[in-house]
Amino acid sequence: MEPAMGMGLVALMGAAATVAGCSEDLESDIGSQSNPNSQVQLAAQVGYPHRIFNKAISGEPPSNAMYCAVGAGVAMMLLNSVSTSPLLAIAVGAFVAALLNGVFSTTAYMGRNASQTRFNQYVYLDVLRNHVLGIMGHAYVTTFCIVGLSYVMWNQNLIGHPFPFPVIAMIWGLAVGAIGSSTGDVHYGAEREFQDFKFGAGLNAADSGNITRYAEAGLRSSIDNAWFCSKFGGPVTGIAFGMTVFLDNWRSTAFQGWTAVVAGTIIVILIIIYNRYLELYARKNYGPYPEYSGDVEA
Amino acid sequence: MSEPAETANQIDTKGVVVGLVGIYIAGISGIPYLAFLAGIGAIFATKMGADAVRRVCSYGIGTGVPSIGMLALGMGVIAAMFGLAIGKMYNAVFIGPIVGLVLALVIGFVVGSLTNKVIKLNIPVMERCLTEIAGAGVLVLTGFSVMVAGSMDFAVIVEKVITTGYIAPIFILGALGILHPFNANLGPDETQDRTLVHSYSCGAITMAIGGVCSIATIDPIAAILSIVIAAAIWYVNFMGFVRLVQRDAGAGYVGTGLLPPGAM
Amino acid sequence: MIDIITMLATHWISIIGIVIGGICIAVGVHFVPVGGAPAAMAQATGIGTGTVQLAAGSGLTGLLAAGYMYKTLSAAGAVGISEVILICATGAVGAMIMMTTTMIVGNWVYIYGVGVPPASAKVEYDPITKNSQAPYVAPGTVGQGMPTVCFVSGTIGGLLGGLGGSLVYCMLMWVNGDPAISSIFAIGVFLVNAVLPSYNIQGTIEGFHDPKFKRVPKAIVACFIASLLCGIIAVMIPGTAMFGGI
Repeated sequence: MEPAMGMGLVALMGAAATVAGCSEDLESDIGSQSNPNSQVQLAAQVGYPHRIFNKAISGEPPSNAMYCAVGAGVAMMLLNSVSTSPLLAIAVGAFVAALLNGVFSTTAYMGRNASQTRFNQYVYLDVLRNHVLGIMGHAYVTTFCIVGLSYVMWNQNLIGHPFPFPVIAMIWGLAVGAIGSSTGDVHYGAEREFQDFKFGAGLNAADSGNITRYAEAGLRSSIDNAWFCSKFGGPVTGIAFGMTVFLDNWRSTAFQGWTAVVAGTIIVILIIIYNRYLELYARKNYGPYPEYSGDVEA
Repeated sequence: MSEPAETANQIDTKGVVVGLVGIYIAGISGIPYLAFLAGIGAIFATKMGADAVRRVCSYGIGTGVPSIGMLALGMGVIAAMFGLAIGKMYNAVFIGPIVGLVLALVIGFVVGSLTNKVIKLNIPVMERCLTEIAGAGVLVLTGFSVMVAGSMDFAVIVEKVITTGYIAPIFILGALGILHPFNANLGPDETQDRTLVHSYSCGAITMAIGGVCSIATIDPIAAILSIVIAAAIWYVNFMGFVRLVQRDAGAGYVGTGLLPPGAM
Repeated sequence: MIDIITMLATHWISIIGIVIGGICIAVGVHFVPVGGAPAAMAQATGIGTGTVQLAAGSGLTGLLAAGYMYKTLSAAGAVGISEVILICATGAVGAMIMMTTTMIVGNWVYIYGVGVPPASAKVEYDPITKNSQAPYVAPGTVGQGMPTVCFVSGTIGGLLGGLGGSLVYCMLMWVNGDPAISSIFAIGVFLVNAVLPSYNIQGTIEGFHDPKFKRVPKAIVACFIASLLCGIIAVMIPGTAMFGGI
């Protein structure tokens, strides 16, 4: 393959991955999935019933791996049996995955809230109707992009990865879920869920479960989480996943053998040094917490 | 958690027996139109796994509910393929699922003992539940693989299920079918019948996707048969789940409304 | 006609490789700084996700890189020990890249999005940079973000995870020569060896400076036995080529 063509494909994959990461994070924010959801689950138990969505689909990485594997499986079936164009096959696959997402979200919301009846937590059908389509839409975008980039990786005329197409999609789905729940979800969990607390600190353990339940007017539902998190949490998740896909494929396309390993190691060392600068920046600008009363010098 | 309506032994017996019978009828007969029976067997195995997850996770296992199912399916995929490969190697295809199941039960028990004895997690039901989940994992993977391939022959399964990669959706949907029912119903008012009805509907979703995959591997009519049967099972159980949610939520099942009285 | 005794006798070295790979994964999981659910609310030091998920995400990303490298190398000739070392290095670097990008962006969110300086609550001074930690821990929390020691620890964790996953994959490729079978089995072995250590650390750990890190030997014993079992079974599964095709 021409080097320029290879670089183009890697750039395309990186771009698709960036979109996928962003929409993955927004999907989990609207649905309130993964670790921040533990506070939503806790809220009713400590006396704060709410109208926030509660989507627990076995953790973000397995659920995203499921959407991507199903999308790729359906696309693979269409390619093999009726030889449709890849783009159509991927779109249909992503649609099926979005339908599954809708079913799993519905059962999670109904089941989790019905299991908290004793804490006065209601099952609101309008919350369900309002949120499910938004969640499914984001899941469609995520699945489409990831199945698309997996297709580019797998196709023998393009990059030609030896793993089967759905397995590649499953691995990238697992990776995007892991990245989404490590990066963007923190913005949702630490800021959006506790928006009426002071900025500049994590959640005090004494305030656990006291999530922000009121909006600018009336009661808050999760649908506006996309509005808030798309300002920062979503895009940075996209950057994280895009960087992973791009840097990893770039070094193995641009260099061969041990040179690729060395190039990758240099990237890793640069990121470690950058992190040190970032840490120093935060320590210098934010300073120690005034409440601290121990004897360790700042 | 309420008192169980079905005991663990009843669920395990149904899971193993229906699972194996379904797989054998579909695999031995070789008639593509009977392939859906392996899927039905796998749905019962899903239920067996879901009930075991329900029992073990009520202890709180330190890390999220999903991990235990990933563990079981990780062991399960190797054991299931080993069983089928042994059948092929000794030209006795019919021993495959049984060998896989027995092996998974053994590994499940060993890993369960390791978690309790070496890692000292000290959960009394760990050995038994991990054994059950591993067994359920093997039956789910074998069942859906046989359904997609339409055969129990290892070479055919490798060609139609593994090389094409359909194993990936089966693997992860099988895992979610075992995990999601309890995870989605987690809470102090969880009831066993609701969780188990949900496990049928999750199993049926896997079966439907397996049916979609089998359009390319076996006869399209057989595939459509699987999809239609799976959709029917899903619909019945999903509606049953919604009814049980209404029953358990009681007055809290509302179309719309503000927070409950006293919470505003 | 092939039987299991011959398979075992021929491929015993692969079993050793799988066991070493499994132990690498198990130790790697202990290095990854995960704070679990509290970290997602900036309530604990580390990455705000589950151990298994993050280890699997990074290790399997490395596996993708290793699989591609294996294909490139095997096209040029037989894959021997020196090629395996290169493949494992590729996988390890792939996993490290995934882990470092995740952690750096995680720190962006903590620093710019939540407005907290990274700090560990398990040690008073960062063992690498000697910076004080306790004054920077927000009241009512047990630290937040990834200070340098956690970051380096996480990078080592990614390295070991990717190395282990790639080694398991190479060993399976030696046995069956089929990337499809090997990849799905490697995922299986990886998950088993990622879940057992996560029970060992009870879901959260800050890295090699955390007192919980002393529990590593227990996980090594458990994963040795579990990977030995998986390895023995996995090397007895031949690729379809050994049946003379279909």
